[in-house]
Amino acid sequence: MKKVFALILAAAMLLSMTHVFAEEKTVLTMWCIATESDANRPAYEAAIAAYEAAHPDVKIEWEAFENQSYKTKIKAAMSDPSTLPDIFFTWAGAFLGDFVNDGNVYCLDEAYQPFAESLPEVMLQNASYGGKHYGVPLTMNIVAMFANMDLLAEAGYDAVPTTYEDLIACCDALVEKGIIPFGCSGGETWCVTEYLEPIIEKTIGYEALNEIFAGRATWNDPAIAGAVDAFQEMITKGYFDPNGLSLGNDQVKANFIAGEYAFYQNGSWNCGEVNDAEGNFQVALFPVMDAEKATYGQVIGGPSDTLAVAATSKNPELAAQAAFELGKEICHYGYLAGSGLPAWTPDYDTSEVKPLVAAVADIVAKADGMVLFGDTAMSADPANTYLNFVSKVYGCEIDGAGFIESLTNALQ
Amino acid sequence: MKRTFTYRLHIFLFLLPALILFVGILIAPIVMSAWYSVHDFNSISSTKMDFVGLDNYVTLFSREMINPETGKVFANDKFMGDALVNSLILAVLSVFIQLPLSLIIALKLSKGIRGERAYLSIFFMPVLISTVIIGRLWMNIYDPGKAGILNAALRATGADQWLFPWISGRITSSKLAFTGQWTGFRETALGAAFVPILWQYVGYHMLLMYAGIKGVPSELLEAAELDGCSEGQVNRHIIIPYIKPILKVSVIFAVTGSLKSFDLIYALMKDTTKAELPSTLMYKLLFLHNRYGLGSAIAVVLIVLCFAFALLITLAFRDKGEKVS
Repeated sequence: MKKVFALILAAAMLLSMTHVFAEEKTVLTMWCIATESDANRPAYEAAIAAYEAAHPDVKIEWEAFENQSYKTKIKAAMSDPSTLPDIFFTWAGAFLGDFVNDGNVYCLDEAYQPFAESLPEVMLQNASYGGKHYGVPLTMNIVAMFANMDLLAEAGYDAVPTTYEDLIACCDALVEKGIIPFGCSGGETWCVTEYLEPIIEKTIGYEALNEIFAGRATWNDPAIAGAVDAFQEMITKGYFDPNGLSLGNDQVKANFIAGEYAFYQNGSWNCGEVNDAEGNFQVALFPVMDAEKATYGQVIGGPSDTLAVAATSKNPELAAQAAFELGKEICHYGYLAGSGLPAWTPDYDTSEVKPLVAAVADIVAKADGMVLFGDTAMSADPANTYLNFVSKVYGCEIDGAGFIESLTNALQ
Repeated sequence: MKRTFTYRLHIFLFLLPALILFVGILIAPIVMSAWYSVHDFNSISSTKMDFVGLDNYVTLFSREMINPETGKVFANDKFMGDALVNSLILAVLSVFIQLPLSLIIALKLSKGIRGERAYLSIFFMPVLISTVIIGRLWMNIYDPGKAGILNAALRATGADQWLFPWISGRITSSKLAFTGQWTGFRETALGAAFVPILWQYVGYHMLLMYAGIKGVPSELLEAAELDGCSEGQVNRHIIIPYIKPILKVSVIFAVTGSLKSFDLIYALMKDTTKAELPSTLMYKLLFLHNRYGLGSAIAVVLIVLCFAFALLITLAFRDKGEKVS
C-alpha cells in the first residue's frame, strides 16, 4: 500500500513539473482601447486568435482600456518607457508624433517590406515622421453624414441633399414637420468637430485646412469665420437638437437610431451599428459651401487608428512583425463588421460587407482630398486649445470672428 | 551616555519606516510638483525640461495674455482664476449649507428617535456609493430628454413654463435658450454639479457630528434638563460647544475637499469646461494638453491653499489663550 501511495505521489510530482520541461512561449504584451463595449472588440479577439494559431510559440497578453483613460495611461507610460508594453494602440498624426520625437517608438521600415504589397505606403503617411514609418494602420475612418430616409421622405425628400442650398431647404421642411434635422453631442467636444471641420473644409478647401492643422497657416481667415457663423446659424435656427448641448454622444446616436433626428454626422465607425438598426438609412457627405475652393469629394478623416511598437520592447523585431500581422487581421475583421474602412487592400471575400460600409468605401475611393481629424492632426496642447474654442462655438458663446481671433492668438 | 545613544538609535530605527513612507508618499511628490512647476515640461519626455521660473504661475493667473508675435491681447484659455472662484463658492456652500444640514440631522438623530440606526445608514449611504455611480445617477436626473427626472417633474407641474424662460434671461454666456440643459450652460452647470457634491457628503459630516454628540457626558445633559433648559438651549450652550473640535475638523474637510473636488464633476460632465474647478483644469493641463509644468503649478497652488485654509480655520476655532499646535 505504501508503495502504491509513493508511486501516486511521484507521478503527481512529475505531472506538476511537466510545464518546466515544456517549451516556453515568447510573450508579447499589448495595450489597446478595444474594451468589451468597443465596436472593434470582436475584430481584436479574432485577430489575436488567428495570430496565436499561426504562431504557437508566441502568446499575446493584451489589455484594453477605455478610450479617454487610455490617453492618460499611454502618456504617463511614455514618461517611463520601461512600463510600456511591446505593442500599443495609438492615434496617428501628432499624437504618435510626440512619442516618436522622444525616441520611444520602434521604427517599422524593415518590418514593413514583406507587407508592402497589401498595405499601400500612402496609408502609412499619417504615422510617418522624418521619412520613417512608426505605425501600422488598422482601419481608416472618415466623417460621414448619416441620413434617416424615412424622416426625409416625410419632408418630401427621397435623396440626401447634395448642395448646401438643398440641405438648408430640407432642414426647413423637416423643422416644419416637427422633425429635428441634426443631433450633436455638446458634452463631448470631438463630436462638434465632426460638424465644424467638414463645414470649414467645404468652405476653404482641404489643402488650406491641412495647412492650418499642420501649423503652417493660421486660423485667421475670414472664410473660416463665415463657416463658423453658418454653423451657428444652423444651431440658432433650430436645426440642431437643443438638448444635445448637454448630451453625450451615445445618447445622441441612440436618438438618431431611434428616429428622433433626420441626420447624424459622425465617424464612419458607426456604419455597422446604423446599418444593423431598424430603418432606412443612407450615408453621404456634407455639401459644398464654396464651390470655388472645395469639392463634394473632400473628406475629413484617414487612417488614424494605429499599432506601434515600443522602442523598449525586448523582442522588437518579433513585436513589429506581430503588429503588422495583427493590424492586417484587425482591419479584415473590422471591415467586415462595419467598424471601419480597410487601410489594407482586402484579399478576402468582401461580398458580405454591409451596404453602408460599402457606400462609405465608395465615397473614400472617389475622394478628392483628405484632412485628418483636427484633434489628431494637431499636437496635444494646440489640439485641446482648439477643442476649448470649438466647445464655445457650439454653445454660441463666441461667433466666427471671435473664434478665428481667439484661436489664432492662443495658438501662436 | 552610550545607553542614551542606543535608546535614541532605537527610537530612530522604529520611526524610520514611517518616516520613509511619509517622505516618499507626501513630501517627495510635493517637492517634485514644485520642481516641475517652474519648468516647461511635456510629461512624455523627462529629458526636455526648460526652466521658466514663475512663468507658469503668471500664465495661470493672467486672464488675458499678450501674443508676442502680434502684440495683441487675447483671452488665456489656461486661466485658473475662474476655477478658483468656483471652488471657493463650493467651499462657502459646503460650510453654510452642507455642514448646518449635517448638524441639524445629527442633533435630531442623536435624541434617540425611532429608527435612528436606519436613518443613520440611509444618510451615510451616498458616502459609500462610488462617486462614478453618483455621477451617472445625477446625469440621468439632469437628462434634458425624456429620461430626465428633474425636467419631467418640472414639466409635469408646469414649472418649466416660468422657470426655463427665467433661467434663459439670466444666461449671458450664450445666445441659446435654456430648455432644460442643466449641464450645458456655464450659468447652470456649476449649480448642477454642486448639488450632488453637497448631497453626497452630508452623511459623512453628519456621522462625525453624531459620534461627537453621543460623546457628550449624560450628566451635563441631565443637569441642563433639571435646570429647565429647552432643547435649543441645550444644543446651543452644551452640545455645540462640546463638539467644537469635531466641527473644526468638518469645516477643514469641507473647505479643503471643495478645493480638491474632482471626481464627481468629472463623472457628471465629460467636458468640464462649463464648471471648471482647479483640479479639473489641472487634469486637463496635465493629461490632455501635456503641460506638466502648468498642471504642477496648479497642484502647488492647491497644496498651499489647503494648508493656508486649514491653518486659518484652526485659528478661527481657537479658544481664548489656546495655542495653535
